[in-house]
Amino acid sequence: MARLGYALAALVGLAATALGVAGMLGRAGTLAVPWLVPLGGLELTLDPLGGFFLALVGFVAVPASVYAIGYAAGSTRGVLAYLVFIVSMCAVPLAANVMTFAIAWELMSLASYFLVLQERERRETADAAWVYAVMTHAGLACLLAGMLLLAAWTGSVRFADWRAAAPALSAGARDLAFLLLAVGFAGKAGVIPLHVWLPLAHPAAPSHVSALMSGVMIKLGVYGLVRAGTDWLGGGPAWWGTAVLLAGVVSAVVGVLYALVEHDLKRLLAFHSIENVGIILIGVGAGMLYRHAGLGELALLGLAAGLYHTVNHAAFKGLLFLGAGAVVHATGTRDMERLGGLVKRMPWTAACFLVGAAAIAALPPLNGFVSEWLTFVALLQNTRVAAPALNLVFALGIAGLALTSGLAMACFVKAYGITFLALPRSEAAGRAREAGAAMRAGMLLLVAACVALGLGPTVVLPRLAAVAAPLAGPGAPARPGLGDWLTVQVPGDFASLSTLAIAAALALGLAAPLVALRLAGASRRRRLYETWGCGRMLQTARMAYTATAFANPFKRVFDFFYRPVKRLDIEFHPASRLFVERIEYANPTRSIFEDWLYRPVLDALHAAARHARAIQSGSANLYLAYILVALLVLLVLA
Amino acid sequence: MTSTTNLLAFVGLVVALLLVWRQSWPGRLRLFAAQSVVLALLATVVGVLAARPGLVVVGAVFALVKVWIIPRVLRRIAAGAPVRPVAPGKSSGIALLVAGALVVAAYVVMLPVQAATRLPTQGAIPLAFAMALIGLYVCVTGRDALGHILGFLVFENGVFGLAILATYGLPGIVEAGVFLDVLVIVFIMEVVVVQVRREHASIAEERLRELRG
Repeated sequence: MARLGYALAALVGLAATALGVAGMLGRAGTLAVPWLVPLGGLELTLDPLGGFFLALVGFVAVPASVYAIGYAAGSTRGVLAYLVFIVSMCAVPLAANVMTFAIAWELMSLASYFLVLQERERRETADAAWVYAVMTHAGLACLLAGMLLLAAWTGSVRFADWRAAAPALSAGARDLAFLLLAVGFAGKAGVIPLHVWLPLAHPAAPSHVSALMSGVMIKLGVYGLVRAGTDWLGGGPAWWGTAVLLAGVVSAVVGVLYALVEHDLKRLLAFHSIENVGIILIGVGAGMLYRHAGLGELALLGLAAGLYHTVNHAAFKGLLFLGAGAVVHATGTRDMERLGGLVKRMPWTAACFLVGAAAIAALPPLNGFVSEWLTFVALLQNTRVAAPALNLVFALGIAGLALTSGLAMACFVKAYGITFLALPRSEAAGRAREAGAAMRAGMLLLVAACVALGLGPTVVLPRLAAVAAPLAGPGAPARPGLGDWLTVQVPGDFASLSTLAIAAALALGLAAPLVALRLAGASRRRRLYETWGCGRMLQTARMAYTATAFANPFKRVFDFFYRPVKRLDIEFHPASRLFVERIEYANPTRSIFEDWLYRPVLDALHAAARHARAIQSGSANLYLAYILVALLVLLVLA
Repeated sequence: MTSTTNLLAFVGLVVALLLVWRQSWPGRLRLFAAQSVVLALLATVVGVLAARPGLVVVGAVFALVKVWIIPRVLRRIAAGAPVRPVAPGKSSGIALLVAGALVVAAYVVMLPVQAATRLPTQGAIPLAFAMALIGLYVCVTGRDALGHILGFLVFENGVFGLAILATYGLPGIVEAGVFLDVLVIVFIMEVVVVQVRREHASIAEERLRELRG
């Protein structure tokens, strides 16, 4: 029954991909059912940007559903929520008026809330779902406020009418609408400091759901930002793009810093989602700034880089979450300190995870490299903008992106090395079994996607440029020249890239020593010998490098950010202090955002609630008196 | 017509004030029934003098519901409750003072309404409104569930009087709906009060505070 549901979900995903790709290629269409819901009725429209994100939903939904067939039988309720989740995510980018959008958006949030709650016996899952529900509804409130204001000012609930009427609105009105919409969408995208729900909710959900939430759902926040900033409101002042770019920089750097010290495999991946949304927003923000400066082709490049990283992140983060799910499935733990040695017990999963890790660390010729390169190239051309303040913003973007890339690399050395290499650190890790055929099939689909997106930017980039062209402002070329089949040529003749050539060179470089050894007549006999053991007689898992040890140098360097607390518990032997029986060392970090932003706000809220409690005395007489007083006041005032 | 309606509304208001003053439960219930009789008369008089036969029917139904059925039900609810649930020795002086202030407030509030209508009954409109406000006040100061119910019913009486005097009665379907509502409310309150008494052995207002979350 559950398998049937997941198979159906995979079919829905396939259909969404087909329809979305048709939309990207310029096929347009509208489906309107005016009587179904009040305030404008149900209305869905397919356009290039909507088509891109629709295709993205299908792109992750297919492998995730195939994987889910083998992952967990699941309750009927879970499968139903999963189907609703996918269908509502398909509807969000197609929604053409406020009511349709609000219904699709809320269905998506509710379905994912129930999916997060699937293992609700655990206390932390319930807490995670609660935080998620609160944050997502705070975001919805902002979105609805912004949309209803726009509807009131333009006199229409249809997005198409906003496009025509928005340029005539006053600057203050446009700024307010953008701010409200941007905060609402940024909350869904997990932009710092609105990210608190993300590292809680993603690990709590089953892994195929995590893949979808991280790969697609938070991207719909990015969709909203792009849609609101460049389409509905038709571009705006420089601070819009600046805010998006800086939010991207902060999210990228802070996200990866948190990921570095995280030892829960799925939480680590969740923090990387924040980082990658940051990278996407750096591209989008650069596009918005270039659009403001009237540099159409650079705006196109920035937006296309953001979209490229969107689909790339969906591919490799989906893959990594599925891989992490396979590990959790096999060992029953997400704690990296209890894993290790899995490369021998789960070679398929290890290989797939390695591809994902290399892609997210932006190693050529995989897909992460292509989009980060494009983002860099877009940022580096800021010298064509003649405004020193904006150039500084771009410089911050370049520095932040460079730092992020390096730290992400280090983080995935840790994630892969500690999880899959060395010796098993727990009994469960030693007894792990390779994932089943359906799960491997799901992962392999995404491995293929990572490789294809890495090798084929000459095919993908022109399609994305066509999607971004209407959003890049008046100066953007409709069909920019982006090179030939082998090489991507960036607008402005600034740089070029051929991942095919890089791949060929890498393959040659690897093959050359083998061939050379053969030619030199080296002996081909295999010699089996034990690993070099530093002269020790015995190797145990306790001697292996731990995740804590790996993260420690970073903790020291970024000490001002992590503000770590050191806890050292030593138990001495009763007879002499020279003999230590047990040492316990913990070095947890403290969250700046929790301590300095959420804690004060929550405290103030609690204090206000305590004061408000005074009017709720429990006396029926007092309540009735409120009614009488309210009636009299109203009558006198009226 | 003006003097008759004015007189009847005045009597109704006086009964409402007496209701504030009176402390024993059977006495208050009798006063409520008396007020209902006065209002039924008012409806009949307005119906006859303004040639609205529908209002006469409404007055008859009003008398049936509020003079006969509801007092019976209230008596049933009160069975077993002490005759004087109100704290002994507490004077109703302050309460009467507030009620008087409410009458003044009713006149102030109804000034624009009086200026706008040209009906012969307009002089009695503030009196009916004062009745409603006093009903709400009885509700507010009620010290047990019975007091709340009684206050609500007096409030409802006042609204009924207001409708009669200001517009010569509401459409029949609305009146019917209101009667039904009041009946249903009283029956629901009966169930609630009986339940609360069974659970808490009291329906005093102070005990209800324990229900606060």
